[in-house]
Amino acid sequence: MSTAPTAAATAPHADLVLGWYRPVEVDGMVSLLGVALIVNLLLLPIEMVRGADGTLLHGLEVAGLVWLWTAARALARGLTGTTAPIVAAGLCFVPAVMSLRHAAGTTGIAATGSGLTVWALWSAAWVVVPAGLAFITFSSRAVVAWSAGTLVTAGAEAGLARNSRLRPRIEQAASHAGLMHAAALVLIPVVWILDVAISPGNGLGGSIGDAFTGEHFARVLGGDSFWIWLRNSVAVSLGTTLLGLALAVPAGYAFSRFRFRGRDAAMFSFLLVQMFPGVIILVPYFLVMKSLGLLNTWLGLILAYSVTALPLCVWMLKGFFDTVPRELEEAALLDGCNQAQVFRRVILPLSLPAVAVTALFSFLVAWNEFLLALTFNTSNDMYTLPVGLASMISATGQAWGDFAAASLLVSLPVAALFIVFQRFLIQGLSAGGVKG
Amino acid sequence: MVEVRFDGVTKRYDDGTEAVKGLDLEILDGEFLVLLGPSGCGKSTTLRMLAGLEDVTEGSIFIDGARINDLPPGARGLGMVFQSYALYPHMTIRDNLSFGLRMQKREERLPADEIEARVDEAATMLGLTDELVKKPKELSGGQRQRVALGRALVRRPRVLLMDEPLSNLDAELRHQMRGEIRRLHDELGTTTVYVTHDQIEAMTLADRVAVIDAGVLQQHAAPLDTYNEPANDFIRGFICRHIDEMVETANSLFTQRDAE
Repeated sequence: MSTAPTAAATAPHADLVLGWYRPVEVDGMVSLLGVALIVNLLLLPIEMVRGADGTLLHGLEVAGLVWLWTAARALARGLTGTTAPIVAAGLCFVPAVMSLRHAAGTTGIAATGSGLTVWALWSAAWVVVPAGLAFITFSSRAVVAWSAGTLVTAGAEAGLARNSRLRPRIEQAASHAGLMHAAALVLIPVVWILDVAISPGNGLGGSIGDAFTGEHFARVLGGDSFWIWLRNSVAVSLGTTLLGLALAVPAGYAFSRFRFRGRDAAMFSFLLVQMFPGVIILVPYFLVMKSLGLLNTWLGLILAYSVTALPLCVWMLKGFFDTVPRELEEAALLDGCNQAQVFRRVILPLSLPAVAVTALFSFLVAWNEFLLALTFNTSNDMYTLPVGLASMISATGQAWGDFAAASLLVSLPVAALFIVFQRFLIQGLSAGGVKG
Repeated sequence: MVEVRFDGVTKRYDDGTEAVKGLDLEILDGEFLVLLGPSGCGKSTTLRMLAGLEDVTEGSIFIDGARINDLPPGARGLGMVFQSYALYPHMTIRDNLSFGLRMQKREERLPADEIEARVDEAATMLGLTDELVKKPKELSGGQRQRVALGRALVRRPRVLLMDEPLSNLDAELRHQMRGEIRRLHDELGTTTVYVTHDQIEAMTLADRVAVIDAGVLQQHAAPLDTYNEPANDFIRGFICRHIDEMVETANSLFTQRDAE
């Protein structure tokens, strides 16, 4: 080929390769050290506020990490010789190991296996692992050869090939570590509640998993109250879902497809209701319900919850209907459908995911609501689950164990619904997947 | 006899803009009429008024001498092919094809086995026999276009309407489908109204071309007559010069090839 040289081709291949190549460890190290730095910087003020013993040591670790991070960045820019980063890593490694000892020593690794140990180990690991990895990485052959600046083109090419081999694995490991942290963050409160529910006595203290008893579950499930509350909650939630859907589906469709006088005003008036904090309308609500004779009834709660859930349901459904191409409806019209048939035969089957999401949302609003249920209902016979749960923690007795057991039971249906509706949820929330 | 007649048809939107201005147009029985014009000229609006998807502001549209202005779309006995295919995503191809037949009023509805037979016939005609159990998203663009065509034809429409049906296909498929559409028309003899902005498509498909610009009918004649005797400057620019330039481009290509 005897074409004219392009801009990229003016630099010789060897220079390009040598200029581009940087061992994958270096990039990974800079990122990991950066994250470690942020985590430890966040932990430092927390320890200071708690007045923890190890605050000074922790400060030293953070300083070491800053140093190490700077060294790694300098290395990544190719500014340092072979030895400096290794020295930096080593210097950081010392306080890191000390902090691990410290974590083990103050809380007692072997003694009880208490929750605090896990926590301390974790926070120490956020120094030890990056520092240790930095030490190993900086002294690895690939990095040393590269930072010494003696690489020839062939070596750099081999390095690039090695990089693209290693990078997916490193990225996978990093994303796993990140996701495990996210999962732990979500699970910790659940584990804690579970521990309270299976620990004997009705206290909140104690270590995770040190004893087991089924007494709390037995007491909750054995009594009448829980079943009464459950019946009320199920009735009210299902009622809200059905009423909400029956109103929101046609309303959303009308808002999406038809232009009529007052359309915009009506849509924004839905939002207007959402602007007031629930407490403001609590008293008027109560008076209205009282004069209608709807206090201590399922219907009263169903109506109130539908009002709360409806605006968002209508807007969500309108948003979904907007994504269904108008030509589908026109095709159905030409195929001989009337407007009602267009909706029932074409639009509704396509919108099932969105309808499922809306249904779930209405159900959750009703299932979790506390304030209105507390205000409208005065007798134990009409309590919903949240109100019933709250009544277990009163001035006279604080049955935390029973409370924890009951709240786990209350969460079960919600978790089950999410598992069942998972597929729909993803489809419904990522609307627009209905291209003809 | 299926004749379509536009009589002084005007479409005016709420904001006062006129998409179609006093259109008079006659489409003969069995004719393949192409509505041709630049984007936004009112050709699609014309078709949609005929389909019943847009209201007619002034004037009348007749099919077989009957005024259809106020008939709902489904009662006009039309079939329509949309640019985006507009297949029902939740139905199989078989259900897509039979939907129109199944949606007829009870007293006019065909018996189930007759519907099946019609669908099979259309599928055979369009080479879709193997695709009947699939959903639209499993089909290629060309196959979807065939289904859309089949869905419009299976009801034996009095008039077949097509709104830029080939615009979403790649050049090769467009060429192939163009031939197929003309072949189907010659076989079935259905009166057809075809909207496009592509001059070549119009010239090769049509019995007669109705050129529209700014909502006004510019010329209504056979393709070659339009080219040979342009009625005004717009036609000269939009059709004659366009085609001449294409011929020039092609010729210069051949000249280059011959020179090498």
